[in-house]
Amino acid sequence: MYIRFITVVLIFAYILPLSAQTTDSLKTEILNEVVVSSSYKDNVNRNTALQVEVANKSFLYEHFTGNLMQTLENIPGIHSMDIGSGFSKPMIRGMGFNRISVTENGIKQEGQQWGTDHGLEIDAFAVERVTIRKGPSSLLYGSDAMGGVIEISQLPAPSENQVYGEIVMLGKSVNGTLGGSMMSGIKKNLWHVKLRFSEQHFADCRIPADTIVYLTQYLPIHNRKLKNTAGYERDFSLFSEYRKGGYYANYAVSDAFQKVGFFSGAHGIPDAARLRDDGDSRNIDMPYSSVNHLKISTRQQYFRNKSTVTFDAGFQNNHREEWSLFHTHYGNQPVPETDPDKELVFSLNTFNSSLKTDLIYSEQWRHTFGFDVQYQRNSTGGYSFLLPEYRRFTAGALWLSVFRPAGSRFSLSGGVRYDYGMIGIAASQDVYLEQYLRERNYDDALIESYKWRSHSVNRHFGDVSGSIGFVWTPNVSHQLKVNLGRSFRLPGANELASNGVHHGAFRHEQGNASLVSERGWQLDASYTCEYDGIWFAASPFVSWFDKYIYLKPTGEWSILPHAGQIYRYTAVEAIFSGTEVELRIKVFRNLTYRITGEYVYTHNRDEHTPLSFSPPASMRNRLTWTYKTFQFNIELQSVATQNRVAKNEDITHGTNLLHLGATMKIPFHDSNVDIAFSLNNIFDTKYYNHLSFYRKVEIPDTGRNFQLLIKIPFKKKLK
Amino acid sequence: MNTIKFSTICLTAIFFLAFTSCKEDSDTTKPVIELVEPEEDDVLLIGSENGVHFDAEFSDNEMLASYKVEIHQNFDNHTHAVTRGDAETVDFVFEKTWTITGKNASVHHHEIIIPENATPGHYHLMVYCTDAAGNESHIAVDIELSHEGEEHDHEDED
Repeated sequence: MYIRFITVVLIFAYILPLSAQTTDSLKTEILNEVVVSSSYKDNVNRNTALQVEVANKSFLYEHFTGNLMQTLENIPGIHSMDIGSGFSKPMIRGMGFNRISVTENGIKQEGQQWGTDHGLEIDAFAVERVTIRKGPSSLLYGSDAMGGVIEISQLPAPSENQVYGEIVMLGKSVNGTLGGSMMSGIKKNLWHVKLRFSEQHFADCRIPADTIVYLTQYLPIHNRKLKNTAGYERDFSLFSEYRKGGYYANYAVSDAFQKVGFFSGAHGIPDAARLRDDGDSRNIDMPYSSVNHLKISTRQQYFRNKSTVTFDAGFQNNHREEWSLFHTHYGNQPVPETDPDKELVFSLNTFNSSLKTDLIYSEQWRHTFGFDVQYQRNSTGGYSFLLPEYRRFTAGALWLSVFRPAGSRFSLSGGVRYDYGMIGIAASQDVYLEQYLRERNYDDALIESYKWRSHSVNRHFGDVSGSIGFVWTPNVSHQLKVNLGRSFRLPGANELASNGVHHGAFRHEQGNASLVSERGWQLDASYTCEYDGIWFAASPFVSWFDKYIYLKPTGEWSILPHAGQIYRYTAVEAIFSGTEVELRIKVFRNLTYRITGEYVYTHNRDEHTPLSFSPPASMRNRLTWTYKTFQFNIELQSVATQNRVAKNEDITHGTNLLHLGATMKIPFHDSNVDIAFSLNNIFDTKYYNHLSFYRKVEIPDTGRNFQLLIKIPFKKKLK
Repeated sequence: MNTIKFSTICLTAIFFLAFTSCKEDSDTTKPVIELVEPEEDDVLLIGSENGVHFDAEFSDNEMLASYKVEIHQNFDNHTHAVTRGDAETVDFVFEKTWTITGKNASVHHHEIIIPENATPGHYHLMVYCTDAAGNESHIAVDIELSHEGEEHDHEDED
């Protein structure tokens, strides 16, 4: 008790100077928060030497925002790279884009992850459980999973026969979000089927600024609303499962559609003329993007004699379109006859399947053998060009064993994996550019090097990955894990073959056909201890990449309009390191205090600079007070200044934000109606998010936001 | 107690690794461009023999490398769009790079010549600058090309 008292005193002493205004509320309001913890989590953590976080249903509900990544951002080490207020993409420990994987129902989500302005197409309402593996996961997931994996899975079917469902309603003030979701499920004997429909509409996003300054130009933000950032999302999903004896099967179909406008000032040179108020904050004008992600998957599983055979198969189509009023730098390019304003189209079809066998020979040994294949085909369209057409095939085989000596509190795990990869990229020639350059009397060699928007590239790759680690649980209150992993990522089509001005980044980006796979060694540790109402976790990591692919500024001028120097994809030696720390203390019976902190250090060993998009150090202090079914929380989020930037990246200043939240349950028929209210960024603080797509055009992040979430469940037992 | 000892050693070792930073001597500060002439919304005379009066100051914390001037049409973004495809005139395009050195460079020249057949209308004039380390900055100004443009000359400098 004495130690606890001292700790609390210290914590207060340290919070108060940060935010003096909140003293009163801190004294009175505090308590037990729903934390990322469950027996499922303990179970997962015992079986892997990597740090695993589980966001269960109550965590997802309490931090719900309508956007999955913004919810998961509450877990230390996870960041959301936002594209406006509606859509985001994930980042784990400073690795984003193709360096992490997202899976749903065992199938890896394949969209256009490589793009900075491409979000993740997943219905946040449909997510029931998220398991996050931080660190090298290539062994289990192959290419791309080097930074970690976000696994979205279904909760187990209810045990009793029943009809059940829920209606969820969401409202947000910062961008006028109105959203909702309806789910209905039936569990009857061997079958369980559930169906969900969700929709969200949001208006132009509010920011706490009247003007922004970009490239020395003052741009007005009328009514403090970011013009043309409105959008909507419409999602549908069907999940069914069947279980009989040792046989289990599931079938899932989902479709996610998103349409969102791009802030006019962020596409093209900012121009006050394009930012005039159009009097409608809910319209989606050009430029905008629309994406549809269709996913069909099945799992077939057979369990016998402690051994399991699992077969997963899936098909996905990601269809992305970007529309922008026809524009060209080459006066000779005609306006297309059909869909003249369709700037870019990417249609990516992915087929994948995997076969996995888990063998449990004895109490001591457990082996997993797996084999998986994936085939992708990307086709393109539109009057502009960004990514070439390509075909990609990968196949991998893995072996993983876990050894736990009888009666020991120690378990050792290790495995290796081999992957074969093939990519065939189609060449693309820009005849208008060629003619434009010819008219300007550039010499033939120069024209030849510029007219190819992508080169024909056919490459084969072979990569070995693996990991070895241990989990040591000396007693119930301590757990230590250490893992060393080797992981890899195949270079993307843009990294191998692109050549031209990226329409969003305004940079001449050039691929390099001779790049080899990105590869690194990653060492991770995690320690957790639970002691008399105190829970502590620390997870430091350090990674060394012998080949890390990044866009290197070459210092050579591009002759293309709207372009400065040429940026070329180059492999370098790089280092990532850092840690996450979490401490939870049950201060009094109803009061819980939680502090989380994280830090990521990145270093480019060739340039002697940090890497771009390094998340700033940050910390969250949260007090939760619980009384019966009522819960109240207050959180101080502190973000440090990120002055460790790559060349041509801007320093982002830090901030302190205060958030409030409350949840309650109201009895309704046989169950409870859940109501969650939150108030984010109470003081409407103007700040910049280092990882936001709009950061580079000097647009601050969203201001104060009120959010209301109401969930009405229903359930009827069946005989 | 062995538990705690062992855990502490493992964690300390990895923390130590995690917080070992590397030497960062590379420059990430962008050069600064101060464009004196042409100014925002300046009207430039088509066919002027004197050329456009270009006047800029470049500075960098370490070493300047080069700058680029680029002019391209911006007809679309304004309501008073100029009719396109006029055979008599050609959209004016300019692209040229120069080398500069030192921490500060004052540039003054008349090398941008707008030919008689240039299409009048709104254009963007962009100035890019790089330093020796590859840091880059750029600025854009709106300009208008017109037959009624004034001869921009040194009287504009206050």
